[in-house]
Amino acid sequence: MPLVKRNIDPRHLCHTALPRGIKNELECVTNISLANIIRQLSSLSKYAEDIFGELFNEAHSFSFRVNSLQERVDRLSVSVTQLDPKEEELSLQDITMRKAFRSSTIQDQQLFDRKTLPIPLQETYDVCEQPPPLNILTPYRDDGKEGLKFYTNPSYFFDLWKEKMLQDTEDKRKEKRKQKQKNLDRPHEPEKVPRAPHDRRREWQKLAQGPELAEDDADLLHKHIEVANGPASHFETRPQTYVDHMDGSYSLSALPFSQMSELLTRAEERVLVRPHEPPPPPPMHGAGDAKPIPTCISSATGLIENRPQSPAAGRTPVFVSPTPPPPPPPLPSALSTSSLRASMTSTPPPPVPPPPPPPATALPAPAVPPPPAPLQIAPGVLHPAPPPIAPPLVQPSPPVARAAPVCETVPVHPLPQGEGQGLPPPPPPPPLPPPGIRPSSPVTVAALAHPPSGLHPTPSTAPGPHVPLMPPSPPSQVIPASEPKRHPSTLPVISDARSVLLEAIRKGIQLRKVEEQREQEAKHERIENDVATILSRRIAVEYSDSEDDSEFDEVDWLE
Amino acid sequence: MAGQEDPVQREIHQDWANREYMRSSPAASRKSSDFLNSFDMSCRSRLATLNEKLTALERRIEYIEARVTKGETLT
Repeated sequence: MPLVKRNIDPRHLCHTALPRGIKNELECVTNISLANIIRQLSSLSKYAEDIFGELFNEAHSFSFRVNSLQERVDRLSVSVTQLDPKEEELSLQDITMRKAFRSSTIQDQQLFDRKTLPIPLQETYDVCEQPPPLNILTPYRDDGKEGLKFYTNPSYFFDLWKEKMLQDTEDKRKEKRKQKQKNLDRPHEPEKVPRAPHDRRREWQKLAQGPELAEDDADLLHKHIEVANGPASHFETRPQTYVDHMDGSYSLSALPFSQMSELLTRAEERVLVRPHEPPPPPPMHGAGDAKPIPTCISSATGLIENRPQSPAAGRTPVFVSPTPPPPPPPLPSALSTSSLRASMTSTPPPPVPPPPPPPATALPAPAVPPPPAPLQIAPGVLHPAPPPIAPPLVQPSPPVARAAPVCETVPVHPLPQGEGQGLPPPPPPPPLPPPGIRPSSPVTVAALAHPPSGLHPTPSTAPGPHVPLMPPSPPSQVIPASEPKRHPSTLPVISDARSVLLEAIRKGIQLRKVEEQREQEAKHERIENDVATILSRRIAVEYSDSEDDSEFDEVDWLE
Repeated sequence: MAGQEDPVQREIHQDWANREYMRSSPAASRKSSDFLNSFDMSCRSRLATLNEKLTALERRIEYIEARVTKGETLT
């Protein structure tokens, strides 16, 4: 039955009961009909007024919009004419700091709400019979439901439909999951074939890494022989190989914490000899670098001292380890190797290595006539490192003793060069860095390796001409020691300083992700009972592989 | 009879004339209502197109304004 929007009132002009006792019935009927016609006309005029009124209202709202639009166009035309391409600047802040333009995405829905009922229909509706006032009994219900809902419930359609849709989506999701699992299970079998090579690769990798980690001593020996032709003894080389393949820092960090603490305490003890500071434990390289450098300066003429240190550094690793090819990270290797020995292989060999260095240092000193003293200072630098490692093996006393001799030797040599006062300080620098760094944490291990390396690079650059042997070793030290350790720490922290644009884009991505979520949440709260949302969610389930279809929803819903 | 019939006949004739006359007015009102309906329809379609164009224009203006001016800063 079509609903009539507007009724013209008297439908039946002539169908009326005639009053009794009328002489001229025909005339009466005619008159009544004519009157009805006039009523009809009046109703028609109302009808027309309604129509025109509606049209006028709509057009009127349009005129408002047109006027405001006209104003905006005028303003815009002015501002556009004022645009100057020469002065305009493009700032990247537009990407990060400003919201992106978004045109309005209003969608009409729920078009048949009670409020949208036109007035004439509303009038007709009001005339209709109301349902019985069952709501009177609502307060007496136990379940708190509206009494009228059991008589007539218009929201029933939506409720049932929504429930069905949600159920449907759940079912489909489960089905998909099942299918996925099946699909996954099936491909698994064929995939196993390709996986085999993968495993092989791993095996190869293991093989590649294995030698250092797990291979027999014999193999190690062979390797060392190949790698190191130098004077280095085999026991020493062994640890080096460990170090070479494993990062010194990692190996050290791998040490049980107790051992680390032991090392630290020992270092502190050594430090105690000097009334210095364990407190300054700046873990970073900067601190370590800073310390040693000033000490060097104070000790003597910076250049001279630096030179000796650098050669010493270069050579000492050499002594400890096979000279040229094997250890890119000689210093760290020395430290870590010693530590490794201490920790892993508590065997006689470790004690052996420490002794050799002193003689070795002695040897190089004669070899290079000009910087004999520096060389010895250098050993001092190196020694502090080995002693901490050695102590765990035997006793705390030996390291101190060793350190002490070193110190003694140092002063003797520096004296000829210049300042006796400066000499005492030089020994401190070596021990200083380790204690300061160690207390901090395992991370400090990297720092541990660094201070020497940091020391050396600066001198090495300066004394470059110093010794032909030097150049190869110091660079190698610097590169391996500093780089591998720095990378892990610096990479995450430092954003690519290359381009601001990259930063802007990155930020933009952040903003978008987080804000999308926010908007989605807001939307979910706003229109949880939205037909379009429910429908799109149900459809999205069929397309989405992932479990969360929320994004899908939002996309479908926005478009 | 004739005398009696005359007034009746006269009345009937009169009635015929009256009904003839009355027939035209409802037809006229029907015509006018038809016109009103069709007028309503055509006006609505025109208004719809107008609304469409207005909305498009508003959006375009919005867009152009956004191009020319700075976007609002993020909080």
